[in-house]
Amino acid sequence: MKKLSLLFAASLLVSPFTLAEVVVIGNPAGPDSISANEVRDLYLNRSKALPNGDSAKPFELPEGNATRAEFHDKVTGRNDAQLKAFWSQQVFTGRGQPPAEAGSASGMKAQVASTPGAIGYIDSAEVDSSVKVILTP
Amino acid sequence: MKKLFTAAPLALAIAATPALAQSTEETLERMQQQLNAMQQQLNSAKDTGIRFNGFFSTGFARASNDAGYAGITDESEVADLSLFALQGTFDVTQKSQIVMQLVGRGEDDWEPQVEWAYLSHRPTNNLQIRAGKMRIPFFMYSDSLEVGYAQPWARPPQSVYGPIAVTSYVGADASYNLNFDNSSLTATGFTGFTDEDGNSGDVQLRNIAGMNLTWTDYVWTVRGVAATAEADIDGTRLGALAAQSGITLPPGITQLADGDRGNFFGLGASYDDGSWQIIGEVTRVEVDGKFADTDSAYLSVGHRFGSWTPYLAAGWTESQDDDERTGFFIPGAVPESILNYQRHEYSIGTRWDITPGVAIKADVTHVRGLDKGYGNLNTGYMLAENPESTNVYTLKLDSAF
Repeated sequence: MKKLSLLFAASLLVSPFTLAEVVVIGNPAGPDSISANEVRDLYLNRSKALPNGDSAKPFELPEGNATRAEFHDKVTGRNDAQLKAFWSQQVFTGRGQPPAEAGSASGMKAQVASTPGAIGYIDSAEVDSSVKVILTP
Repeated sequence: MKKLFTAAPLALAIAATPALAQSTEETLERMQQQLNAMQQQLNSAKDTGIRFNGFFSTGFARASNDAGYAGITDESEVADLSLFALQGTFDVTQKSQIVMQLVGRGEDDWEPQVEWAYLSHRPTNNLQIRAGKMRIPFFMYSDSLEVGYAQPWARPPQSVYGPIAVTSYVGADASYNLNFDNSSLTATGFTGFTDEDGNSGDVQLRNIAGMNLTWTDYVWTVRGVAATAEADIDGTRLGALAAQSGITLPPGITQLADGDRGNFFGLGASYDDGSWQIIGEVTRVEVDGKFADTDSAYLSVGHRFGSWTPYLAAGWTESQDDDERTGFFIPGAVPESILNYQRHEYSIGTRWDITPGVAIKADVTHVRGLDKGYGNLNTGYMLAENPESTNVYTLKLDSAF
């Protein structure tokens, strides 16, 4: 009995991490799918265009956000400190500015839903009809 | 009374909303529309954006003697490593922007100087044209020369970055970027002129023409650069040195180059897989006349352990045209060979990322082989003491925001 309740408690602790996963979302008017490499290139200032040729507008969640960490772990392979160093190099060499920041998952959805060419990422549990999932990395 | 007035419109609004709406659903829909409109307004406000970024460094460096490697003596002050920069990016249109960077350095009493002021235009996703004041792209870290936070070291290896003190030019460049599946190639052509204070005095480079090719697969980066210019170099520091000893030099003798051809060649490569960080550069400077032609190289190896990135670096530089400097600037006292160069430098240090945006660096550099020539060193002290080596200890804080 004790064992079972322990297992139950453990599953409660684990479940929020295993059930939810990060998904890449896009503006409903944008392309239906995108490859992980294309997403990486957009978030690392290597490319500025979506697969359909439109100019891309990537959005980030704030530093320290768990979904942001998961997204970058899977897609760009960089942590917050590495990203900060990378973008400071891009900014101060005049190569570009980091993606605009959305304050939260709902802010991210609102930005992506209302910005043509927008791309972002949220937890799959947060997805609704205002945006479309274009990649599950 | 005042409270009542401000509260009244709010109460009205709250009262009016349910009165106007036919149902909850309609209200929700209307609120959603309003939210979207507000979001769009917010976005368009962002698009016409002006963004400010900055970087800041401070630190302390001290050398074991007054040889003056990287300008550091045994009584260096904290202010010498301190600088503060503010960069503004102003979007003119969707495809063009103006970038301006102001840098104030402790050693210049914080007087702000414009290092960048250019207009950049991107007619297509692959082509960028810039005009204005920019960094001369001689080295791999030219663009982020003073952005300590963007560099692995406490200071760029002086063997390569030391012999050329001219860092900015006024002109134009065009970059074409070719994106492949997992790599990219960027070709940049640049032209312009510069008039700056160099190591030995006033340096003018006219009709600069250069080409820069960079290929990267985002782990490996290979970069080649070639540039040429007409150079005027007036060694005003030599005149000052002579004046200290009460000697007036004959006019024109400090003119190290007068419309002479100057060439620069550089080859660099780096490897960064997230843990190992290996960087190497080989450069050659050629200027007709007495100005020293130098060959330089360095290799740096670092490894990330969490927030710590210790590194080892070794560098070498040597002047190649010593036979052009066999005379004397001041007969019997100051030979032309003081412009000769030779040194070997070995650095051990670490970068510690305390938090995103702030890094602390500690570095010990041992420099030897100084006795052949004093180029870019503290000439007065070198002439008097002729030390073989110097040690430089540096502790530095770099930040970007």
